[in-house]
Amino acid sequence: MNHEHTLPAPGTDPQWFKRAVFYEVLVRSFKDSDGDGVGDLSGLIERLDHLEWLGVDCLWLPPFYPSPLRDGGYDVSDYKNVLPEFGTLEDFSRFVRLAHDRGMRVIVDFVMNHTSDQHAWFQSSREDPDGPYGDFYVWADDDSGYPEARIIFVDTETSNWSFDPVRRQYYWHRFFSHQPDLNYDNPAVAEAMVDALRFWLDLGIDGFRLDAVPYLFEEEGTNCENLPQTHEFLKQVRKVIEDEYPDTVLLCEANQWPADVVEYFGDFSAGGDECHMAFHFPVMPRIFMAVRRESRYPVSEIMAQTPVIPTNCQWGIFLRNHDELTLEMVTDDERDYMWTEYAKDPRMKANIGIRRRLAPLLENDTNQIELFTALLLSLPGSPVLYYGDEIGMGDNIWLGDRDGVRTPMQWTPDRNAGFSTADPGRLTLPAVMDAVYGYQVTNVESQVTNTSSLLHWTRRMIEARKENPAFGLGDFIDLGGSNPSVLSYVRAFGDDIVLCVNNLSRFPQPVELDLRRFEGSQPVELMGGVRFPPIGELPYLLTLAPHGFYWFRLVQPIAEAIQ
Amino acid sequence: MTAEAAVALLPEWLPQQRWFAGKNQPIDSVRAVAATRLRDTDPEVWHLLVEVAQGDRRDTYQVPVSLREHYDDRLEHILLGDAEGRYVYDALHDKEATAELLQRFADQDRVGTLSFHTEPGASLPLGESSLVLTHEQSNTSLAYGDVALLKAFRRVVPGINPDIEIHDALTRAESEYVAPLLGWLDGSWVDGSGQRQEAGLAMLQAFLTTATDGWALATTSVRDLYAEGDLHADEVGGDFAGEAERLGFATAEVHAALTEVLPTRMLSGDDLVAMAARMRSRLDAAVVTVPELTQHAPVLAEAFDRLAALDEAVAAQRIHGDLHLGQVVRTVVGWKLVDFEGEPAKSLAERVALDSPIRDVAAMLRSFDYAALHLLVVDHPGSDQIAYRASEWAERNQAAFCDGYAKAAGHDPREDVVLLRAYETDKVVYEAVYEARNRPAWLAIPLAAVERFATDPR
Repeated sequence: MNHEHTLPAPGTDPQWFKRAVFYEVLVRSFKDSDGDGVGDLSGLIERLDHLEWLGVDCLWLPPFYPSPLRDGGYDVSDYKNVLPEFGTLEDFSRFVRLAHDRGMRVIVDFVMNHTSDQHAWFQSSREDPDGPYGDFYVWADDDSGYPEARIIFVDTETSNWSFDPVRRQYYWHRFFSHQPDLNYDNPAVAEAMVDALRFWLDLGIDGFRLDAVPYLFEEEGTNCENLPQTHEFLKQVRKVIEDEYPDTVLLCEANQWPADVVEYFGDFSAGGDECHMAFHFPVMPRIFMAVRRESRYPVSEIMAQTPVIPTNCQWGIFLRNHDELTLEMVTDDERDYMWTEYAKDPRMKANIGIRRRLAPLLENDTNQIELFTALLLSLPGSPVLYYGDEIGMGDNIWLGDRDGVRTPMQWTPDRNAGFSTADPGRLTLPAVMDAVYGYQVTNVESQVTNTSSLLHWTRRMIEARKENPAFGLGDFIDLGGSNPSVLSYVRAFGDDIVLCVNNLSRFPQPVELDLRRFEGSQPVELMGGVRFPPIGELPYLLTLAPHGFYWFRLVQPIAEAIQ
Repeated sequence: MTAEAAVALLPEWLPQQRWFAGKNQPIDSVRAVAATRLRDTDPEVWHLLVEVAQGDRRDTYQVPVSLREHYDDRLEHILLGDAEGRYVYDALHDKEATAELLQRFADQDRVGTLSFHTEPGASLPLGESSLVLTHEQSNTSLAYGDVALLKAFRRVVPGINPDIEIHDALTRAESEYVAPLLGWLDGSWVDGSGQRQEAGLAMLQAFLTTATDGWALATTSVRDLYAEGDLHADEVGGDFAGEAERLGFATAEVHAALTEVLPTRMLSGDDLVAMAARMRSRLDAAVVTVPELTQHAPVLAEAFDRLAALDEAVAAQRIHGDLHLGQVVRTVVGWKLVDFEGEPAKSLAERVALDSPIRDVAAMLRSFDYAALHLLVVDHPGSDQIAYRASEWAERNQAAFCDGYAKAAGHDPREDVVLLRAYETDKVVYEAVYEARNRPAWLAIPLAAVERFATDPR
């Protein structure tokens, strides 16, 4: 099979991740190739054409490792293998190769902080304290250590320490009690983890999303987050990558304020020597709040507070992912507000967040879904789409924990949404079947056929983004403007200058923009190519439909003589 | 001197300017009381202070002009006319002239009767071109790039300029709730009676990019509420209470900073009696203009009686003096208060008088009422449903503002029951007169408040 997109030669495009559109895909829920009710790597391979067609540049796979699956696979029991339900290492290699053939890269989740309690290391550690793995975890005789570390999963855990009846000691865990934290003070742990990273890099992947990075080390008298030792370790990992695997990327998951996250990019003068990318967590809840408040300030404020990052680094931004809509990065007042607005049923709340997909959060309002997506694709950072959001999939709040947003991808109106040929009762999670978001109405097949669908729209937007490097590489300038309901900004990279104007209100709005710095330029609307009046010295007047937006490229007017 | 020829164009030009205060009276004469040449080469720039005589009235105006050898199309809209073979333009619109002004600030120049000052450490946007943004009732504002704002006071009142004075004080106090002052221009002249007068003529301050005024934000919220028949103010997405609370906090912080850097004193019982008497006389006069007030006047007057009888000393300080939602702007780093000129209609002495900060609080509470109701009286007259929702919105945001104020100030302004109600009543009386004269359709707004005050006398 011939594909026009193939990857550039290794070492020739080290900053690809700054321009890339990422797509988070759950192997378990994407496509089942063998009819056992569980998605698998071969199924994912079958659907690579869909992702290539959509314009995705890089796939992000959450954990697919052997695991007792008590935390969606984030409880890894073997770092060098594939969960048998998903396939084999050979399947994985084939998947990476075929994705590359289509010009798509692959990054995989890597859980740095902890393992499953079923991991051989932990079993050995609890049974043989003096053995080679005796010191692989954080053990203590009592549960009084590190009292200042907060408990993350407040719904389920009461302490960061749990007692192990076998070793008769307490072990440290920042997440669930079945996920003991690795002891990074032990050099053998760091060595074993780097060894596992090399294992996957040798299979050809393009990078890692490093899970729960801030918690690697512990130190008495601190909150055990973001410690200097953690940064030292990340620098070591980065060095391995730089020296041995050019063009690969480290994406850090640190659910912290941007001013703290920026530490994970590493040394400024070196252009960044830790992670290449980090998620910008507060942007997402702020977008929801801004649209609900019809005020640009929630977004403008967080952008103004976002620090400059080293030249070779990039933010990752997202609207939704496999976790709940995280509300840790909003103030208490704002959190109460978000809960009342977006989680009307208490079941929609999970930990400190809301477990909904994008479309149901926005009550399936097409204009809002498009506005949110336009913001995602135009604010600074590389956008990360969540599987199914490109067709406006719904969720199932009656499923436990965060499974409600992890239901099977809806391919067709046929049985099991075309996801699997298994008996419906055997599916890993039931397909959504409600009247609004059910697979009979919301599916890829119907949206491919219908060119005015959300899917086609999303594809066109991704294409427009790719044609303008300013989106990925450009500066961000908030333009303010006369109307508080209109968020306007410029993305500028060299002579590629893009003006984005977003109406956050459900009513039509006018806005006057101060565009003097672009006097003489002419805005050309990106989707249709229509030329708008040239920019003069006076405020530039635009009117927007409810939840409407514009993307313009600012160009020099065509000289009269040429016309 | 060439400037005289330019002055000769003013009797015709001035009455067309929005900032000209004497529009309803013919101009008897215009004469230059100070003329300073700021630039020799074309365009020649003159800074003029002129005295305009209209009957008994004498007003001084600031009119910088540029004189160009050649006609300039782009400046056509601000041409005063031609004089001695040169074209005379309003210099505040002429980018070459405004660049000269900025350079003079940078040099901290003293030229003629003008002195240009800068704040220590201020960085000026030299090289940025200017654009006139607004013509307000008494000034012209222009932005240099998006870095600095120059506000030129057109009608010049002798004495200290409260806007410059307070911005200077708050800038030195490093208040985060105002746009920092970068510099200011003082000037002097000899008036018709031979007296040398001095005044602040212009101020240069940081330009608040991405700012919108509180009125625009608040009315966005109100519009959202009107669109929902069945939701309460705290339930609609556009709820403004969070912003109102932060605004209250900012206001209290500004008040606190003002007590640290500018004079304070205690108002005695006698002061309060005198203040109550002034409020009372304004009410008496208002009843003549607005007969609708007559019925409730006795109850309203009780608020002033209680003020006169207030048996406690009241802390007074410099205040904003004309605080409303249009005088506060939201930026990406929170609220800022702007325009510390005080009520334009008042004398300078009144505008700089020490007063209770509760006056500002009362004025802002009234502004919330206006924001809630102005769309109602214009777009939905007679809708009881919306009127009810609107009053809910006003109460919710007034309460949030006071909460925020209390959080910063350490005491709740609502506890100063007598003061607050007296100031609110005085403000409502002023509004009634203003609306009756200027916007009769809006008279319903203060009258509704009058009704409310009368049925709920505190």
